[in-house]
Amino acid sequence: MPTSTHKQNYVDPVGKSVPRIDGRGMVTGQTKYVFDVSFPNMLIGKMIRSPHPHAKIVSIDTSKADALPGVRSIVTAKDTYNIKFGSNEYFFPHTIDQMALEADKVRYVGDEIGAVAAVDEEAADEALRLIDIKYEILPHVVDVEEAMKPDAPMIHESLNNIAVILPVNFGNPERAMKEADYVREDKFYAPAAHQSAMEPHVCVGQWETFTDKVTLWSSSQAPFKCREALAKTLKMDLNDVRVIKLAVGGGFGGKLEMLPMDFAACMLSKKAGGLPVKICYDREEEFLASRRKHGMIYRIKTGVKKDGTIVAMTGEVIADGGAYCSYGPTVLAAAIMRIFMVYKIQHFRMSGYRVYTNTPVSGAMRGFGGVQAGFAIESHMDLLAKALDMDPVEFRLKNITSPNMTTVNKMVLTTNGLKECIEKATTAAEWSKKRGKQKNIKRGIGIGIAADVMGSKMYKSHESAGSIVKVEEDGSVYLFTGAADTGQGSNTALSQIAAHELGVSYSRIKCKSGDTEITPFDTGSFASRVTFISGNATIRAANDAKKQILNVVAEELKMNVDDLDIKAEEVINKTNGSVIMDFDKALELAYSFNYGRQIIGRGSYNPKTTPIDFRTAEGNVSGSYGFEAQIAEVEVDTDTGEVTLLEMWDAHDIGKAINPQSVEGQIEGSLAMGIGYTFLENLHFDKKGRPANGNFANYRLPRSMGIPKMNSILVETNDPEGPFGAKGMGEASLLPTSAAIANAIEDAVGIRMKELPITPDKILKALKDKELDKKSDEKNNS
Amino acid sequence: MTTLHINGKKYQLELKGNETLLEVLRNNLGLTGTKTACEESECGTCTVNINGKSVLACITMAAALEGDRITTIEGLSNDDVLHPLQQAFLDKGAVQCGFCIPGFIMSAKALLDKNPEPTREEIDYALDGNLCRCAGYLKIIEAIEEAGKIMKEQQAQN
Repeated sequence: MPTSTHKQNYVDPVGKSVPRIDGRGMVTGQTKYVFDVSFPNMLIGKMIRSPHPHAKIVSIDTSKADALPGVRSIVTAKDTYNIKFGSNEYFFPHTIDQMALEADKVRYVGDEIGAVAAVDEEAADEALRLIDIKYEILPHVVDVEEAMKPDAPMIHESLNNIAVILPVNFGNPERAMKEADYVREDKFYAPAAHQSAMEPHVCVGQWETFTDKVTLWSSSQAPFKCREALAKTLKMDLNDVRVIKLAVGGGFGGKLEMLPMDFAACMLSKKAGGLPVKICYDREEEFLASRRKHGMIYRIKTGVKKDGTIVAMTGEVIADGGAYCSYGPTVLAAAIMRIFMVYKIQHFRMSGYRVYTNTPVSGAMRGFGGVQAGFAIESHMDLLAKALDMDPVEFRLKNITSPNMTTVNKMVLTTNGLKECIEKATTAAEWSKKRGKQKNIKRGIGIGIAADVMGSKMYKSHESAGSIVKVEEDGSVYLFTGAADTGQGSNTALSQIAAHELGVSYSRIKCKSGDTEITPFDTGSFASRVTFISGNATIRAANDAKKQILNVVAEELKMNVDDLDIKAEEVINKTNGSVIMDFDKALELAYSFNYGRQIIGRGSYNPKTTPIDFRTAEGNVSGSYGFEAQIAEVEVDTDTGEVTLLEMWDAHDIGKAINPQSVEGQIEGSLAMGIGYTFLENLHFDKKGRPANGNFANYRLPRSMGIPKMNSILVETNDPEGPFGAKGMGEASLLPTSAAIANAIEDAVGIRMKELPITPDKILKALKDKELDKKSDEKNNS
Repeated sequence: MTTLHINGKKYQLELKGNETLLEVLRNNLGLTGTKTACEESECGTCTVNINGKSVLACITMAAALEGDRITTIEGLSNDDVLHPLQQAFLDKGAVQCGFCIPGFIMSAKALLDKNPEPTREEIDYALDGNLCRCAGYLKIIEAIEEAGKIMKEQQAQN
């Protein structure tokens, strides 16, 4: 683009819905995903998987497969270094429990024993058939409550199948509960689900045989975390392992970790003399052997005063973990401790159990335990309000957290727009006009509220992000970030931030992200952290670049650099607002004969947080916190049990919208995912622990039909720590959706759904039960 | 030798006969804009247009398409000028990860070429085979409505 057009078209990009920086490639089909990567002589890799849910591996004979023409390499546990990997090394070292390829035992149908690489798919499939593995079958367990029993088959070498017990205790809930006017206990069930990103898990590994370095192209949400696990299991130095992400076709938590396929692609390439090896999951493997959402049984008991004040809460959470721990321990912690961001609670005791079963591995999925917890807690809150004959909004307003408070577990909530979110959502939805007043037409309205972190220390001892802003002599600005855009638009938001801070047009920015050898370190896309943490790093890098340019101008004109700034493509004198020169002129100067200064700004940001101490459950995990209120309006057909979602409202404290259209996109995408989880999605398992509905024909995702009108209401609290006031916001909108809908159903027809998904069958059964209860009440009264 | 007409170009291919159109596009011709998320006709990600109709490339045999007019996402833009659908998807913020987008655009193109002013119901019906996990569909629907308006104006001008 000619330089003059940057100035002509300048608008301050922060707060504007600028088009996505990578959008043109996506709408033309030119964008390359790892799914599209192909190299000359590239081999096709496939995983060798267990057909048994639980068995000892007695012997592996690969000789027939080795002899097959077309097969180039085979790897099994003997090609590993017997090093386990996992994702909670810092907080829960005992949960590092998965081998890159299992040696002695398999723990679910699909468990990885090895992999083959061949010249084509047919040869790879034939090799898989020819590999002879002898097993000693062990008894197995699929049901999570069965797995907790003392006589259950032991899945790992431990005392029992409970991998993590997490007690969270504050105050004296027993004593406090005695002071309550009303106490109730409820049990909820939120099932397993699947991230189901459209691009499957896919990687290409290539070993450089003479330098002993390896490159992995991976569809990853966290290339640097992938590199860490890969280097560990390959027994290599971090910088001998390069992980590159390209465009990523969605992640939603499922692509947050290294998987055995990543290790296998690298090792297969090594054994094949350095030929690149591509492993791409098919959709059934996605459901079987990637990661999934924990199914959770959530028991919750709360005591309240007549005026609605919560005095104490206790409970128990049982999480079905599958065969390995993955992110399970922290998912469990988040499922319990999120409540402190939302409600003021002093007396609390909840115990969490993360339990092994012989089923696919549960890990991170958007919301990180908060979706299951949100359904339970927000449904329970409505039941409490109902018992007190209080409006659910009034009940919540009585108990919510406030700005500038420290929670019982030492989270420091600074800006907190929760009250404003509730007020704005209820006003927009005409709550008081509708609530309880549309029963005659079987319509109802329900609310759910939530809060979320923006970042969480999950990588060793820090969670920093780094950025580099390089300004070239032609005026183009390169932003290098380790952050991994997985579709949420972080490359766009970070580019907007860089342009604003540097004082130039967004059209100048080019963004390179997520290559561990080129871009600065970043822990990755999770915990709604990127805008907040990587955004702050980017401000610092852009500011550093700006200072370097201004230093040249100050030297040349013998001015004080502190008096200078760059605004709207011009170097200005801050003291009187006068224009000194165009940005392009300043750059010409910087790269002139006399100066020849390369402009390379750098920035690093690590939020001022303290990690949770899991002995006390105390810690301020996030640099700021985001809040939200959501309302659903439904109509129930009492003949068919069908629920029609009429409209949804979502008011979200996002601090400041860097790109309002992207923010709306995150909210709408979250709501759609929440709608799917509420009505359709239920990943369940057969007797052998295999997904019983592990494909898109049977695992139903929401489609365009049935998506209601969604109203996004952006609440801007301008967080002092956030980049230009912004907070992270990729997950919170998903947390209260199921409860808001369930609460609306109760308002419409007076039935309470405590188990997801909410299906017409369950609605009809509940309506029938309600009718029977009514009749027996009438009988007893007569 | 099989001759396929794709995006206005002729391709001569040696086919075994059992290749799907998806495999031929991606593996033989390097037209990787057409993706797949399931390869079993459930996700719509591989949608292309054949003689103006939206068709799933993963379940269509390539050898049977001689003489047919095949259009993929790569055939939509004219040099630097985006097709109104592509432009509207960008303008309305309908694109997130982008992986499903070529399929959505091709489903929408088959609809709008016949009916540039579809109702929400007609759009839902046309998109019923397409899955998106990121965007929640609404901005995609807005983009299709917007593109329809522009296509109608363009038709009126021609």
